[in-house]
Amino acid sequence: MRNGNKMDKVSNSKTQIIEKRGGWSIKKAFLPLFSVIFILLSSSTYAELELHISKTSDDGIPIYIANISAGIPGGHNGIIEADLKRSGRFTIVNRSKIPNIASYGETLNAGAYQDIADYIVRGKDNGNGGLFIELVSTTDNAKTNYTITANENPRRPAHKAADLIYEKITRRKGAFDTRLAYVTVTNSTSKNRTFRLYISDSDGNNPQSILSSRRPIMSPAWSPDGSELAYVSFEKNTSAIYVQNIFTGAKRLISAREGINGAPAWSPDGSRIAMSLSINGNPEIYTINTKSGALKRITNSSAIDTEPAWNGTGSIIFTSNRGGSPQLYRISANGGDAQRITFDGKYNSAADIANNKIAFISGNRGAFHVAIKSMSESGKNMLSNGRLDESPTLAPNGAMVAYTTLRNGQNTLAVVSDNGKSRQFLTSPAGDVREPAWSPYLHK
Amino acid sequence: MKNIKIRLMLLPLLLSTLALGACSQNAKQDDKNAGTVTSSQGGDGTKSGTIGAGGASGVNSNSTRGDYLPNQNVNNDPNNTNDLTLSGLNDPSNLLSKRVIYFDYNKAGIRPEYMILINTHAKLAAKYPQLKMRLEGHADERGSREYNVALSEQRSQSVKRLMGIQGARSGQIKTIGYGEEVPIVTGHDKDSWQQNRRVEIKYDNY
Repeated sequence: MRNGNKMDKVSNSKTQIIEKRGGWSIKKAFLPLFSVIFILLSSSTYAELELHISKTSDDGIPIYIANISAGIPGGHNGIIEADLKRSGRFTIVNRSKIPNIASYGETLNAGAYQDIADYIVRGKDNGNGGLFIELVSTTDNAKTNYTITANENPRRPAHKAADLIYEKITRRKGAFDTRLAYVTVTNSTSKNRTFRLYISDSDGNNPQSILSSRRPIMSPAWSPDGSELAYVSFEKNTSAIYVQNIFTGAKRLISAREGINGAPAWSPDGSRIAMSLSINGNPEIYTINTKSGALKRITNSSAIDTEPAWNGTGSIIFTSNRGGSPQLYRISANGGDAQRITFDGKYNSAADIANNKIAFISGNRGAFHVAIKSMSESGKNMLSNGRLDESPTLAPNGAMVAYTTLRNGQNTLAVVSDNGKSRQFLTSPAGDVREPAWSPYLHK
Repeated sequence: MKNIKIRLMLLPLLLSTLALGACSQNAKQDDKNAGTVTSSQGGDGTKSGTIGAGGASGVNSNSTRGDYLPNQNVNNDPNNTNDLTLSGLNDPSNLLSKRVIYFDYNKAGIRPEYMILINTHAKLAAKYPQLKMRLEGHADERGSREYNVALSEQRSQSVKRLMGIQGARSGQIKTIGYGEEVPIVTGHDKDSWQQNRRVEIKYDNY
């Protein structure tokens, strides 16, 4: 084993792997729009995330979700409603508008509610954690039925239901049944500073710490099958890139070369990890073959080249200050000449790409915002309005972006729909939350 | 130590040749914040002195350029011999006790006012070849995190390059870029950002 010695040290290090956080509950506080707060409590102080909804769409597709409780706090319907709201494409019809709706399995005259909602969702628990879901169009009374199997995580069947409803109505794949990885920091300027790498459901529920360290943890990046996370650790007083299995906790060293080992990004086929290394003096983009370990240099400039993002398996978008200021460039994944792709503003960086969309940070007049654009068209839309927003990450369907923003002086996660109509914040009372990485679609 | 003084007099020459990259776009500080800088502990408990008003050498009342410059009183005081000794590293009246170099936003060039400080440490390293140090680069929170790692490593490389010219051996100096991950202060304002844009000189045993 080439890195045998290093691997040994890793397994003996202070790193704690997989601290399972069990138990959660939801308290819902109904306040006026813009301040609905769901508090997601878990057994650990550090695992708590509070969800604040700052904005929801009021001109989305009106949809009514009937009560589907079955032992989930807030009900399966609550999870489905929150998911659809988050997409910025739906407006949830208030339960009181249709009192006493016919239960799942009973006859429903959907046309009677045409003026109130375009769609009605009913459902019930199948008795062992799975769900029966029925989506009815009030326009033509057309019914679509889904049977969703149980999952170890009792909230996932509701997220899967939301994905199916979203896809049926918008004809685009849903991405609610996914995960987020993120980094938290407590005591950020003291000697007790602690960094933790977390994974959670895409709505911030069910957080689990999979790594903690007194030294920085950075830049989590999902493998395309959603089972592994690459990240940067400064554990040994220098930077290094590791890959850790989120289920088993097994971790392996990918790169601990002289200088910077940063910004890992998996190719969509999982065969390579792109990264920034300064082994030759200044930061350049390299790829490493995940099976053979073979290293290939991609960029060649005297400037900073970092933050690679794969655009398919054939090309890489990265940040470079070769033109004097940080801008985004495109280069073949085999190397060659790079083309600049951003031209407005003095600071464009940190690209993430999914479903032919690119999200990135665009700085202007001292403020840094999240921008989104189609990979194939020109013209970008600004999605955030914080002062120091960073680390945008796209849901795999490209329809939502998570990023880091300052809220009340603290780093906080935000999730915004690609149309800008819905925005929520995930805050932690324990400290900074940052560097979200949205998982690919889950396969198990 | 006459030798040092003579070399210091050659500094203007050095400044003109080496500081080209510094191009200090904005070295000015808010005077109202003078005296707010305090010495601090590094993340691993290593001690790092902080330069300027409120730093180890006391109040720098005649500074017009701001908080983060080497104290001119120390540099120019004829009674203050900046002895190149290891004990000088922890002597508050010795320039060697100052171990932080501050930078301009999104720049890795050395500001001219830090040349003396860097050269003094470089000469100490040249005098004691067994001495080893780490140059830990940092960035403020603005901009993206991995870009800031690269920027902060370039800052520590700038300091290393300059020390090399002054006789420090490459093997004595390790550089690292921590980006914006290890701030000295958590504020989100100009003064905090300036304090966080830095390279800390950390000696292995001092």
